[in-house]
Amino acid sequence: MLEAKELMVFYENMLALNNISIKCDDNQIVGVFGANSAGKSTLMYALSGIMLDIQKKERMAGGERISLTGDVLLNNKSIMDVKPSLRARAGIVLCPERRRLFKESSVIENLRIGGYLATKSQAKKTMEYIMEVFPALQTLRNRLGGFLSGGEQQMVAIGRALMAQPKVLLLDEPLLGLSPLMQATLIKATKAIQQETNISVIVAEQYARPVFPIVDYAYILENGAAVMEGTRDELMDNPDVKSAYFGVS
Amino acid sequence: MEILVYGTINSVSLALMGLGFAMVYGISRVPNFAHGALYVICGFVTWTLFQKLGLPYFIAIILSLGVNGVLGMLMYRFVLIRVRGMNISEIIASYAIGLIILEGLRFGGFRGMTYTLPVFMEGSLMIGGVPVDYHRIVMTIIGILLVAGLWLFTHHTRIGLALQGMAQDERAALMLGIDSDFMAMLAMGFGAVLAGVAATLIMPLGNIVVESGYHVLIMSIAVCIVGGLGSWMGAFFAAFIIGFAQILTVVYIGSHFQMVVAILAIILTLILKPSGLFGQQKELEERV
Repeated sequence: MLEAKELMVFYENMLALNNISIKCDDNQIVGVFGANSAGKSTLMYALSGIMLDIQKKERMAGGERISLTGDVLLNNKSIMDVKPSLRARAGIVLCPERRRLFKESSVIENLRIGGYLATKSQAKKTMEYIMEVFPALQTLRNRLGGFLSGGEQQMVAIGRALMAQPKVLLLDEPLLGLSPLMQATLIKATKAIQQETNISVIVAEQYARPVFPIVDYAYILENGAAVMEGTRDELMDNPDVKSAYFGVS
Repeated sequence: MEILVYGTINSVSLALMGLGFAMVYGISRVPNFAHGALYVICGFVTWTLFQKLGLPYFIAIILSLGVNGVLGMLMYRFVLIRVRGMNISEIIASYAIGLIILEGLRFGGFRGMTYTLPVFMEGSLMIGGVPVDYHRIVMTIIGILLVAGLWLFTHHTRIGLALQGMAQDERAALMLGIDSDFMAMLAMGFGAVLAGVAATLIMPLGNIVVESGYHVLIMSIAVCIVGGLGSWMGAFFAAFIIGFAQILTVVYIGSHFQMVVAILAIILTLILKPSGLFGQQKELEERV
């Protein structure tokens, strides 16, 4: 479904993504794991097209020169030059790192802003579905985004992304800074959402352990390059992965 | 009582002037220095349609508001879109457009005291012993309704919510499929219409003169800085502060100090609380 081919991203002369090819099929959860600065967020921005916006803004402000090469394909059609708002319309929705909620809007308003691309009936249905998946949000409906805890914010952020009716949901570090309990809740919810709405999910995380049980396929990034890839079971049995990402040898 | 009544009226007219500027800045982060020019041109378009072409007053107003909206959107689509994100260029480009419009009008012969629009309703009313004409009352009511309408619009419609999202975090909005350039263009159109509404409400109280464009620009900037750039609710409250301060100055010091109040308000705000009453520009505060 969504595919990156030989993707390279440069910030000035620094190589942020080095010849990465990844693929996410229909109804799959794909994991992208790697340490800080391995290029996870850059990959997410490149897939969702936000990189084009960053590139434009940097050029306007006379900042860093960003160059992209390679290709991003959606259903085998190149979307490399498609602007981010149209990519979202095509079904690629990014739930960004650090959540980026609309802090001065209430939970419901956040969700409704997310429903910009949805029809009225879609928005209503998705809203009900989100409240079902995250019952904790029921009581917080009118709380401002800025006054939520990290876990609650993440729930709203995922809900907001779902409101945009994604076909591929990109989750960038959804577990960042959350308690193990909240992490487990979110991972379970992610799996449930993927199965019940038949979407694909690409999740980027620093720590593989909590996410690993739900991924179908995973890539491991190091310094902007995919150094390893495989199905969950293949990677599970790999001694290098075990020692590096699960802390057992 | 006089202070209360005229303070309120003055405040609402300031709010009307400032709302468009605040909205455009809040959503697209473009300081629209052509705001005053849009205000003046709406007056002249209404005048032309009504006095020269003889259209009914109401239809002339609606048409000229439409013209203004389109003008604002064209301004964004063809000029400001190229400089968006470059702060100084935004100011220079929009101010240049403003100058072209205002000085163009002056050059084209629109000067002097002959250009006037009729008030909506003749006659006056006594409120607590102070005579107030109907037009000022209509203006105050429409101004307050407009603010309520804006609030409803930004909280309960799809486009309004999208504008709100973009004002808060443009990139996050982009991730949800909200096209920032299209929204900025819309915001510019709305801002221009709001400038036009202010013009049609305020101009019948005096003459249509080119100079009022500069006056309106300064007043709207004052209102927006005191209220906090990027917050149109802040602009509304700031309009009341400056509005009453002006009337108090007129009553106790002298009417020719009116303009000083606005400038002083800008200076004091920038010294004491640079981000303004409800401002989102926290970076500014940190820098100072």
